[in-house]
Amino acid sequence: MNVEATDLTRRLGRTQAVAGVTIAIGDGVFGLLGPNGAGKTSLLRMMATVIPPTSGHLRLLGCDPSEYGQRRQIRCRLGYLPQNLGYYPRFTVVEFVEYFALLKEMPAARVHRAVAYAVERVGLGDKAKARLSTLSGGMLRRVGIAQAIVNDPQLLLLDEPTAGLDPEQRIAFRSLLRDLGQQATVIVSTHLVEDVGAACARVALMDRGKIVFSGTPDELTGRAVGTDAVGDAPLERGYSAVLAQARS
Amino acid sequence: MTGDRDHALDEATRTHDVDLDRVWVAVAAEVWRRRPGPIERLAGRVLRSPGLARALVTTPSLLLGWLIASTVVLVAGVLATHETGTPYVALCAPAIAAVGIAYAYGPGTDPAWELAGSMAVSDRMVLLVRALAVFGLNAVLGSVASAASGAAMAVTFGWLVPMTAVCALALAAATVARSANVGVATGVAGWLIAVVSGQAAVGRLAAAVTDSRLTLPYLTVAVGGAAVVLYATRTDRGVS
Repeated sequence: MNVEATDLTRRLGRTQAVAGVTIAIGDGVFGLLGPNGAGKTSLLRMMATVIPPTSGHLRLLGCDPSEYGQRRQIRCRLGYLPQNLGYYPRFTVVEFVEYFALLKEMPAARVHRAVAYAVERVGLGDKAKARLSTLSGGMLRRVGIAQAIVNDPQLLLLDEPTAGLDPEQRIAFRSLLRDLGQQATVIVSTHLVEDVGAACARVALMDRGKIVFSGTPDELTGRAVGTDAVGDAPLERGYSAVLAQARS
Repeated sequence: MTGDRDHALDEATRTHDVDLDRVWVAVAAEVWRRRPGPIERLAGRVLRSPGLARALVTTPSLLLGWLIASTVVLVAGVLATHETGTPYVALCAPAIAAVGIAYAYGPGTDPAWELAGSMAVSDRMVLLVRALAVFGLNAVLGSVASAASGAAMAVTFGWLVPMTAVCALALAAATVARSANVGVATGVAGWLIAVVSGQAAVGRLAAAVTDSRLTLPYLTVAVGGAAVVLYATRTDRGVS
């Protein structure tokens, strides 16, 4: 398992953002669903080693992120797209992706080719030399995905990756996700249920800091059977049914 | 001879698949390749890390606009010193350096701060390298301005110790509060208190940079500030 969390908690001020999450995630694309404020981003930030857990145990890629040396090892093999991607407006697409390739301590000889490959994979080849300040929101999101995959990560964490993408780009992105998931653990946090249905082999649903469902998208769909859950698609009805049950 | 070569090429093309995507990526890598400037290359050699070197040259408070603003303030200080005889350069240089250090790295200051927090090159190293670079550059600028203002040697070098203390104070406050503005406010307020207290005690505005009895307190503040920064960055910035 590439991610093993045991009774993980995270407190932000007086708020319990993550309240005792236990989960194990292996290779493939894993969807993290939940309403706003459910704790998805906090959980992902802990997995990205940006913030430490308040309590509980976390192992990533077989290493302990609380140890400096092991955390560094994890970070070399990690890709992370935060919910709010900060960027340097004067950087070009290539400069931005290269900057993070260097911060991930990729071997210098590999950097240029890896950057070009990542930029091509997200379909931004024709914008490679464009300044970030001139790009649309969807393009910036793809730049963020490019920096996340530039080091060919074994653990890829994507927080709301399809926000701002148009339908055509979302379809292309789901295909990229499935491709990436063949050799790595890809965890996608989203509130868009259709993204999960199209690309994820497994899914967990979070509510109020806890995981209230873990299984396959089909199993989530099945939870709506016999209930009057609302939703436009079967997966959405399963999502609503689980949430309603968790809150009752 | 040419015919043989053409034949061999045809044969190779016919018998081996050419992965055009791979070829294109190799071409693109060369075409898009960025050539680092001389400062970045030098920093890369000194720091032995291309990532740290790149992080250094993207320091917000080392960008051209910032340097021009600092220089303008120091030139105004030189002119004011010539006119009044009061060492204004020595009095304003520590505050300028403190502001620069507070804005060197952190949330709201560095656009990609959240992302940088998940990188192999550690936050603490980025902070340290940037802070040292800002400090060093401000020390050079301040020394030149102070020498140009014709101030006494004691004043020219006397402000370097208070500058170290004020910078450490600003950096510690910015790191703990995770806010560059809080760092600036604390550093500048601390320095104002030192200057005003010096004048109240001795009757001279320059006492804060010339009174040798203040050296020990300044050094204490500098060491204390550095210790706070090291403690606050001991794991990462997520403790809140």
